[in-house]
Amino acid sequence: MDELVQLNDFRSEVPAQEDLRAEAERLMAGMSAPARPDLRRLGLRAALAGGLAAAVGAAVFLVQSRPAPAPPPPLIRTVAAVEVLSRAAEHAGSRPELRPRPGQFLVYESQSMDTSEEDGEIWLSRSRRTIWLPVEGSAVKGVLREELLAPLPYPGHPLPSAARAEQALVGRPGRPERAADFDDRAEFLRNDYAYVSKLPTDTEGMRRHLYTRVPNDGLQDYEAWNRVGGLLDESYLPAAQRAALFRAAATIPGVVTVKEAQDAAGREGIAAAMVSPNGVREEYVFDRKTYDYLGRRGVVVDAELAGAPVGSVVSSSAQLKVGVVDRPPAVE
Amino acid sequence: MSETSPADSAVIARSRQEPEVFAEIFRRHAPEIKRFVIRRLGLDDAEDVVAETFLTAFRQRGRYDLARHSALPWLYGIATNLVGRHKRTEARQLNLLARTGVDPVTEPFTSRSDERLSAQAVQRNLAAALVALPAGHRDVLLLVTWGGLTYTETAEALGIRVGTVRSRVNRARAKIREELGGADPTALVNEEVRHG
Repeated sequence: MDELVQLNDFRSEVPAQEDLRAEAERLMAGMSAPARPDLRRLGLRAALAGGLAAAVGAAVFLVQSRPAPAPPPPLIRTVAAVEVLSRAAEHAGSRPELRPRPGQFLVYESQSMDTSEEDGEIWLSRSRRTIWLPVEGSAVKGVLREELLAPLPYPGHPLPSAARAEQALVGRPGRPERAADFDDRAEFLRNDYAYVSKLPTDTEGMRRHLYTRVPNDGLQDYEAWNRVGGLLDESYLPAAQRAALFRAAATIPGVVTVKEAQDAAGREGIAAAMVSPNGVREEYVFDRKTYDYLGRRGVVVDAELAGAPVGSVVSSSAQLKVGVVDRPPAVE
Repeated sequence: MSETSPADSAVIARSRQEPEVFAEIFRRHAPEIKRFVIRRLGLDDAEDVVAETFLTAFRQRGRYDLARHSALPWLYGIATNLVGRHKRTEARQLNLLARTGVDPVTEPFTSRSDERLSAQAVQRNLAAALVALPAGHRDVLLLVTWGGLTYTETAEALGIRVGTVRSRVNRARAKIREELGGADPTALVNEEVRHG
């Protein structure tokens, strides 16, 4: 007998495999989680855990006949969103500027709520933190002090047992620790003061910066929107760059206005926002009078995609204070 | 290709703008790729390798050559590279089969153990022959036989020249013939090349 025929027969009793649910699930998870580290903060994983994983069976097998999802209707015309950001740009210079010197540290106080996941369970972790970041260079020399706040259930889900570890630590102020063990961000994602103070001060230049090496995967505008946040939270831009940032953000297609928004500390304001690929409206909230940036908020607008009821808040932050100090507290 | 089922290349092209469309590539080819991987490594490692194969393909879809209508050779190539990370598992199971006649890979799928007995000698010799092949030769041989790829497709899948595929197949066949010699002497005179 031909050896190729015999080889073809070898192990031929292994049948074609029909049960591929585990692999399908892993593929869907990988497909929906762009390999961009800072997306986590904007709640992408939350949407993933809730909506997509649950929909895997249907999604994998029906995708061919499913029409492309229609873009969600804007809340208000885009022009109004441009206005929020333009006002923010105009107000960028209205506060006394911080002028940190090389060798000093910027210290940020903030509060945030983000999704956590473990063993297939999901909940909302909350914390209040102070971070000292060097004026120049990576976050490795930074110091972080974090205090956990009571975790909350992810909307529509019970508070899982995995969240209890956090519950046990609530109310105990953390000790200062190193802010990061490594910081391998690409150059264009840096947000230390030395770097951001050299960014373009014109709209077009800042816009190019926001789109630097954005992968051409259909999520470009959302990624650019996400990068705006990277320059707002725990980051301080000189007034000229801050104004350029808001003007550039206003040029990103798909930005809408949210008249009533709230940051993680409950401060009310007006927001510019974009709906994420996972059905969450990612808002940047501004004070209605001063147009100071207050914080961000993620609100579900597509229950199926986000795996949570429409209107529920799945992430938020509040930028409470920023200052300059000569050195951070000692790390034990 | 009928209207209702666009070529793989068209699906991949569309998935560059609408990533979720890539699930269709999975739906079309995962059953076959998984069978191939199980035949090489057994059930235990197959899930990892298959999941990783399609994730890798998804991430590399931007570089897919749209002139190739079928994605199968591409997927087989990725799967083969990932199988290569489990060389020791593959060898351990082939060695076990060669020594004892028990194949841990097919065990979960066989119920009629009596039928297997007569073929055992051939299977043990094949296992011994496969495990003795250089990994690159085994890869080529199994893509051509189990994968059903042409020499050209195999060359594309592994990123090697067609001439290399041809010479590896010929040498691998010669080795297998040697190993099977005891079981079937007529195999020695068969020189025909069926692929290419």
